[in-house]
Amino acid sequence: MNAFADVSPATVAPSCAHCGLPVPRHLVHEAEPQQFCCAGCRQVFTLIGEWNFGQYYRLLDQQRALTPAKVSGRSFEDLDDASAQAAATESAGGERRKTRLYLEGVHCAACVWLVEKLPAVLPGVDEVRLHLGTAVAEVTWHPAHTRLSTVARALDRLGYTPHLYQASHLREMRRVEDRAMLARLGVAAACAMNLMFVSGALYAGESTGMAAAYQTFFRWFSLIISVPVVAFAAKPFFQTAIGGLRAGTIHLDAPIALGITVGMSASAFNVIRGHGPLWFDSLTMLIAALLAARQLQRSAQRTALERADSLRSVAFVEFARRLDPRHPGEPAVEVPISALGAGDRVEIRSGELIPVDGVVMSGSSTLDNAVLTGESLPVPVAQGDQVFAGATNLGARVVVRVDAIGSRTRVGALLRIVDDALQKKPALLAVTDTLSRRFVTALLMISASLLVVLWSQRGPEVALSRVVALLVVSCPCALGLSVPLAMSVALMRAARAGIFVKNPDAFERLRHVGTVCLDKTGTLTQGRPTVAQWHGDEATLEMARALESQSAHAVARAFQQAGGALRLVRVVEQVAETAGAGIAGRLDGHDVRVGHRAHLSSAGVEIPQSFDRQAQAFLDAGLSPVFVSIDGRAVGLAGVGDALRADSRQTVDALRARGWQVCILSGDHPRLVAQMGEALGLPAGGVHGGLTPEAKRDAVTALKARADRSGAVVMVGDGINDAAALASADVGIAVHGGSGATIVAADVVFARDGVRPVLELLDGARRLRGIVARNIGFALLYNAAASTLAIAGLVAPLMAAVLMPASSLVVVGASTFTPTFKAPTTRRLRPAERS
Amino acid sequence: METIFVLLPLALLIAAIAAGFFVWAATSGQFDDLETPPVRILFDDEVPRVAAPPTAPVAASRSIQQ
Repeated sequence: MNAFADVSPATVAPSCAHCGLPVPRHLVHEAEPQQFCCAGCRQVFTLIGEWNFGQYYRLLDQQRALTPAKVSGRSFEDLDDASAQAAATESAGGERRKTRLYLEGVHCAACVWLVEKLPAVLPGVDEVRLHLGTAVAEVTWHPAHTRLSTVARALDRLGYTPHLYQASHLREMRRVEDRAMLARLGVAAACAMNLMFVSGALYAGESTGMAAAYQTFFRWFSLIISVPVVAFAAKPFFQTAIGGLRAGTIHLDAPIALGITVGMSASAFNVIRGHGPLWFDSLTMLIAALLAARQLQRSAQRTALERADSLRSVAFVEFARRLDPRHPGEPAVEVPISALGAGDRVEIRSGELIPVDGVVMSGSSTLDNAVLTGESLPVPVAQGDQVFAGATNLGARVVVRVDAIGSRTRVGALLRIVDDALQKKPALLAVTDTLSRRFVTALLMISASLLVVLWSQRGPEVALSRVVALLVVSCPCALGLSVPLAMSVALMRAARAGIFVKNPDAFERLRHVGTVCLDKTGTLTQGRPTVAQWHGDEATLEMARALESQSAHAVARAFQQAGGALRLVRVVEQVAETAGAGIAGRLDGHDVRVGHRAHLSSAGVEIPQSFDRQAQAFLDAGLSPVFVSIDGRAVGLAGVGDALRADSRQTVDALRARGWQVCILSGDHPRLVAQMGEALGLPAGGVHGGLTPEAKRDAVTALKARADRSGAVVMVGDGINDAAALASADVGIAVHGGSGATIVAADVVFARDGVRPVLELLDGARRLRGIVARNIGFALLYNAAASTLAIAGLVAPLMAAVLMPASSLVVVGASTFTPTFKAPTTRRLRPAERS
Repeated sequence: METIFVLLPLALLIAAIAAGFFVWAATSGQFDDLETPPVRILFDDEVPRVAAPPTAPVAASRSIQQ
């Protein structure tokens, strides 16, 4: 049944001159030298040509993932508001201001070049520096000569939609601390390495003989080099150890600080009195190694947090289009939401998020409430209807009267619940901290008894030197390295796999197999209507898609997202859309109609009985049937609805196979939720529909409070209505594309579509715990062996200098080379495939 | 061999200067971004503009403001 056999088979589609993706056939203009896959790419390409920035295309990384350019077309007037700029702008000397903007769509070095070239075309912009890793651009500009909105519009027109990057006080503090830690590490490493040379000479002198003058000189020399390490670099260890003792706990830093203090003062004493062993080299090396491991963990943690922050700045709406009631004909002005007041009129265009709570004053549309309530079906709204911030306008433009903004909206109230729950979330005690109490107690008891026994039998000299040797050699270096290193490697690998772990406690909390609660709409399902089932051939589907690509209706979007690139249809003309019925047009000379049954039959199309039976089957499965006819014959039938994601069934099965209880907590209609539960093979007892955000949270806390509870309660969601549940769960996970509230509330944020990363997170966490346990086991074994040698008086400084780094190296190796998270496999075109 | 009494403190002085520079570089944020500078150095020098009229940038910026 090929409706258009006369269409020549698709040849290789030309690729987009800007982004390199294949161009849909009906967008190919043979007369033009370049072809574009979308309007955004065409716009960006033209602008780059206009500004003489063609070198961008020579710099492009051929290995990058291909994504079409996105131009928002906003005016960005809201950025000119002083209160909006306040948090992201600082003075850059004189009149100049420096503003940080997060840019969407930054992918490789060519972007850096292009963005930093802006001063050449924008008078008043002095400098732009783009940070490739975080996609944050620092713009230095003159308020007298240009406006921030002009800069933002230029960036937007180049395909980088900008967002103000709010520099929080906390982040500033973190950065200052990071820099100080790096300086400490540098000093410790430099001193430790220089000490190695001097100590080497001393060890050599001990075995071959060395003139006393040189020996004294070298010993004093090593004392001098060690001073900055103890006084400057090792400060954090003393601070946390003392802080811990004040709070009544023994932190892992306590035994480290103890070892450093005892070892260093004994060595200094030995230098001054002119004989006795020196431990400077082992101790400085230990400090440098521990600082390096902590630096790694900090940077991995910071990367994950900053990525999550960037996702959040995109997810929150920052502006509204305000209408002036006195001049109804004037176009809307973009203002920051904080500048709105009750009673203002705002305009919300098709596809935009509703920024405020309010009442529709004019226009009618359909709203997607999925992130607010979990409802998968769009809700129609008209004049006089109440709308809430966070919903998406799917239909036409509406004007809304503002009732509440910010924290007084329903979303704001939910965010307060989230904050509350987050504050109540107890911090997990690190494994090493629970161990260190016993460790310190054992160490102190052994040292004390050793001191007493040896003092009475062999005199104070032997007793003191052995106790010092014991304390130095059993300094828990491997123990201190094992967790930060394994953690930083896991965090980095996870981030590369699109899993940003904001709170590393999540790894530990996943220890006990428990319950995974999943949201339905947007988590297990796509969260928007798609062509869930198709009855007909591929060519027909593509005809329908090419026709629907001309429309902005919700059903049209479902078609547009079905399948890959359009490559067959050449010409689309005479498109006519009938509201509430369907769409018709001429494609390559064929009459194509897509829509309700009546839309086809009114045009004289006969619908065969088999189609009606299929349509009934779709209705039973909760899908709306959409009919397709070509040249007056019904040839295709689509079931449109919110379909399960491709990986949902597989993930749920795998979770259950691993022993996890799986339940669904959804705000959608109970009947639809029950159907989904059945499709996933879940028992009816664990499938709950029609829940309010508060009920979701209560369901999670009830699971946590259950008497027979042994396992973790994990909540996975995407909507504002999930945020409170995410914050209350042991581990909250925000799936990709979630709302800003979930990114705030979650411990883990996915930057990859689907729910499959949940499995990877569980597996990665299990492997990480394995590595940590193994490392700790090894570290304790080493400590036991080394202490025994020290008690027996067999540990000399040279031996410690070999033993201690050797044990650390084993731990470093074990942490680095055991895989926790797999690298992702992204689809990339080989250079040969690009023109 | 006595020269070591001079050379070693001298070496220490040089090392201290180097460490001092590192501390300065780290605390002034030179190591904040380790990803962009390595790619920035690969950009070629500016090719001289082919007789761009002096009004061109202004015209371009005006078109953004529309």
